[in-house]
Amino acid sequence: MTGSHLAAAVPRPGPGRIVRGVLLLALVASSLAPLVLLAIWSMSGRWLYPALLPTEYSAASWRALGAESLGPALVTSGALAAAAGLVGCVLALPLGRALARLRGWRRHVGAAAAFLPVAAPPLALGTGLQVVLLSVGLGGTVAGVLLAHLVPAVGYLSLFFLGTFTLFDERVEAEARTLGATPWQVWRHVLLPMLRGPIVEAVALGFLISWGQFALTLVVGGGAVRALPLEVFALVRAGQDRAAAVGALLLVVPPAIGLAALRWAAQRTAVAPA
Amino acid sequence: MPTPRAPSAERDDDIPALELRALCAAFGNGAGLTDVSLRVGSGERVAIVGPSGVGKTTLLRAVAGLAAIDDGHVLVRGQDVTALPPERRDVVYLHQTPVLFPHLSVGENIAFPLRVRGQRGEAVRQRVREALAAVRLDGFEARPAHALSGGQRHRVALARAIAARPAVLLLDEPLSALDPALRADVGAAITAAQAEYGPAMLIVTHDLDDVGALADRVAALVDGGVAQCVTPDVLFARPATLAVARFLGIYQELVGRVREDGMIACALGVVDVSRERRGVASTASLVTLGFRPESVRLSAAGCRPDAVRARVVGIRHRPRGSTLVLRLEDGGAESLVEAAIAGQDVACDVGDEVVATLDPPDVMVYPR
Repeated sequence: MTGSHLAAAVPRPGPGRIVRGVLLLALVASSLAPLVLLAIWSMSGRWLYPALLPTEYSAASWRALGAESLGPALVTSGALAAAAGLVGCVLALPLGRALARLRGWRRHVGAAAAFLPVAAPPLALGTGLQVVLLSVGLGGTVAGVLLAHLVPAVGYLSLFFLGTFTLFDERVEAEARTLGATPWQVWRHVLLPMLRGPIVEAVALGFLISWGQFALTLVVGGGAVRALPLEVFALVRAGQDRAAAVGALLLVVPPAIGLAALRWAAQRTAVAPA
Repeated sequence: MPTPRAPSAERDDDIPALELRALCAAFGNGAGLTDVSLRVGSGERVAIVGPSGVGKTTLLRAVAGLAAIDDGHVLVRGQDVTALPPERRDVVYLHQTPVLFPHLSVGENIAFPLRVRGQRGEAVRQRVREALAAVRLDGFEARPAHALSGGQRHRVALARAIAARPAVLLLDEPLSALDPALRADVGAAITAAQAEYGPAMLIVTHDLDDVGALADRVAALVDGGVAQCVTPDVLFARPATLAVARFLGIYQELVGRVREDGMIACALGVVDVSRERRGVASTASLVTLGFRPESVRLSAAGCRPDAVRARVVGIRHRPRGSTLVLRLEDGGAESLVEAAIAGQDVACDVGDEVVATLDPPDVMVYPR
């Protein structure tokens, strides 16, 4: 068979390609279908069995956003998540650098310590934290919930910055110091500008960690801090399906924006010297 | 913290730009630097040479304040900077491969040392222009740092260092990462940097061929300390210790015995080494003779019946000229020495027997 080895070099649609296509379609469908359903539900006016789609549409649920509990919950969650992202990043940046400078077993112990709050189930974490926060009078307060959110956020972001600083060329800092920069000037003029990409990523990650928290907010907030996931859960349990759909959609929007920010930052990440 | 430069040449001589006093710094698993003392005058270039792992880079980093020292003092223009952080030492350390700040342009990179000292405006731009001109990169201000070629990056790093006008510039293997065409380029830039305002330079190099071009004096760092600090020609011709001679790689060794008349007997016969170089070696004591292939003289066998006979067993071709490998027999013990082919009176080939003697003027004597 002359030329068979040439034919083999040309890619042809085979069973593998079909399987890959089906899997990709399934991935897209499983990601988007719940969101599409939520969107339809949130705008439905009249939707009775066995209609495939609502027979009437209404924006009533969305208009009620300001009046109902969802509006304030959105603000609470947004403030909590933004604070967790920013404060978490500020704390995790030096922590990650300190971890990256450890050598040998110390580094393993340090990384494990940072990973523990990430690995521990939030319910367990919250149960333990609640005791401490109650004793200092922060139980049931927004500040207490923020502190609780910071525990997994700082752990996760420390690991994130550990990776960043492991790749970071230490000579850059030495070069800046010997050229006359004080440690503060090294941060201000060299490290922070060079780490702009990773810092944006870290703030977005910290935001998302806090945004999706349910168990920590419930246990530490004691039901007094009404963040968005708690409200959505309450609406689902109360059978207010349309309002719950609106709340669920609101929960999805920030992660989508966060993901876009991560993509944007990832393209600008530069930790190596020119 | 730059101090005003000394007004007269005499004062420059009195207070060296850089002085190391009994510097001691451990690193790795070895002994590290145990006792390094050195003075570098203003405008002087001193090369540091020594075997791998002796601590050449550690020494530079310690002087720059980037590596910890265990004992000793670093003085810059007479001021003890041992306890000061790197940014206050008036010393700039240049890494072997240039480290430019990737988020800054070439001009901003060179302006960096001035900006962190609070300087702004036209004076900074003027200094950047001068520094770029010194390394022949005029007009490169706006280029992004990552768009430079290898040689250009070296030159920008040098320009940035001289823009800071430190009293002392520390260069770590400035030429070793470059191909031959670029070496000349960067070497010229180093000379130009020197001409710009005359800093003291301490230059680490592993390539002895660079020493003559880069430095006025050369310090041989051996066994944790400076074994010798002299001009390059003296180092190559008169290595002070056996360790230095061994590091240079061009010296061969033979065991010798000091005779009653002061001459030294070895496998290449009796050598009349001057008293000055023989030192305090007492009669009948054993010494090590260090000599280069050029010091071995050959003549036709048979002309001197009492002379040492040697058999040519091979030829080695080296960059500095080819040598004959000779097998000597000395009371049953065999030894191999090399003799330079150039400048010999006798032509010979592998298998020939010749008479070999040692030319005394360049033979070094070391205690055993």
